Amino acid sequence: MGYQLNFDAVWRNFDLLLSGLGLGLALAVVSIFLGSLIGLVAAFAMVSKNRLWRGLAVGYVTAIRNTPILVLIFFTFFALPQFGVRFDKIESFVFTLTVYAGAYLTEVFRGGLMALPRGLREAGLALGMTEWRANLWVVIPVMIRNVLPALSNNFISLFKDTSLAAAIAVPELTFYARQINVNTFRVIETWMVASLMYVAACYLIAAALRRLERRLAIPR
Amino acid sequence: MMKSVLALLSAAAVLAVGAAHAEGNKMDEVLKRGKLVVGTGSTNAPWHFKDQSGQLVGFDVDVAKIIAKALFEDAEKVEFVNQSSDSRIPNLTTNKVDITCQFMTVTGGRAQQVDFTIPYYREGVGLLLLANGKYKSYDDLKKAGSGVVVSVLQNVYAEEMVKKALPQAKVDQYDSVDLIYQALNSNRADAAATDQSALRWFMQQNPGRYLDAGYGWNPQTYACAVKKGEQSWLNFVNTALHEAMTGVEFDAYAASFKKWFGVDLPQPQIGFPVEYK
Repeated sequence: MGYQLNFDAVWRNFDLLLSGLGLGLALAVVSIFLGSLIGLVAAFAMVSKNRLWRGLAVGYVTAIRNTPILVLIFFTFFALPQFGVRFDKIESFVFTLTVYAGAYLTEVFRGGLMALPRGLREAGLALGMTEWRANLWVVIPVMIRNVLPALSNNFISLFKDTSLAAAIAVPELTFYARQINVNTFRVIETWMVASLMYVAACYLIAAALRRLERRLAIPR
Repeated sequence: MMKSVLALLSAAAVLAVGAAHAEGNKMDEVLKRGKLVVGTGSTNAPWHFKDQSGQLVGFDVDVAKIIAKALFEDAEKVEFVNQSSDSRIPNLTTNKVDITCQFMTVTGGRAQQVDFTIPYYREGVGLLLLANGKYKSYDDLKKAGSGVVVSVLQNVYAEEMVKKALPQAKVDQYDSVDLIYQALNSNRADAAATDQSALRWFMQQNPGRYLDAGYGWNPQTYACAVKKGEQSWLNFVNTALHEAMTGVEFDAYAASFKKWFGVDLPQPQIGFPVEYK
């Protein structure tokens, strides 16, 4: 007399799960975009000759990378309001994930910058470009192409981190899965479906990035 | 064929009756043993939990002691068996404990498996507010309509439960109890919806910081339970509990009620019995 799987309760609430997945993806996209900008700036700071910039960037990455993201989420949501910084729950999560993503992406971009031949930037300068332009039009595009595989890894991981938003009552996929669990006790079925939805979403992200990799690859 | 089945059945019935007789009276068994074996938990203040010195204390524990006092004239002759919520019924049916007192909600389904004693507490949901917060009472919350955020533990139909009291409120569900209080403390929520017993205990622990909005709903009856069919044992326990709430042991019950819920109970009315009011 094994357990009888019954997915009725899950299908009845499937629209909730879908809306949760949608919100999760939206949270991830916004945070990853903003986090990438932070990461780029901090990566340049890390390889700069200016000690102050370098120190700030190293401090940021060290502090954020070595704190569990759940603690950061609680800190932003519960503790910051007591210092007068107050976002609502969704903004507060996006803020946290952005800061968190920034720290990880800084390391990815820093690795990319360090792996570039020195001559690349110098070639740009030799063409009469300013420092800024050489970085923007020569260094960054090549660097991005090189770090794309590492980036997709991070993007997927960051998307999965959106499941932690459930802790502060943000109604994303994990939140609704738990809700269906406590209401219907169809625990196994609900987590099975939710897991598959995460897998499918991650697979799509990975596939999209792999396509991008191929398009940007140097033709041989 | 039919005959032999009938014969087998009646033999089984005779055996069952015999077994029930052989078991004798539970009360005699407990008296002979010299201590009462009570099943309860250890992790839910103010019901059953370990205090700073590691002693098991709480309202359930005090109720068990009241029954022990009725049996032995000594409230300390109790052995507590630590059990999780889902072993409350199995430990009774397998004779591991004489009685279970573990904030057990009386439901029809459970009453088919165990016999409930008379109730010793009525649980309900209440709303906790910050003493220096924007809202001071249930009426304030109700008037504020959709401007109010209520934090609640993620649980079966938690949202519907809150909306029964505050139909327009926004509901934030958290997956642990400390977070619903934290949400209130950091003004993430205007009120926290939680069991009244937990609410009163929390207010006891933090005097002056919180207010009870003064509205209770979602009633649930808490009673002890004994093994099904132990009628005379059940009668004894009922008498002990009844006299704790209305008779000779009222002071012990009231002192415990005050200790865990911070509420002074009025003396039972003298003269005409309160039962027939």
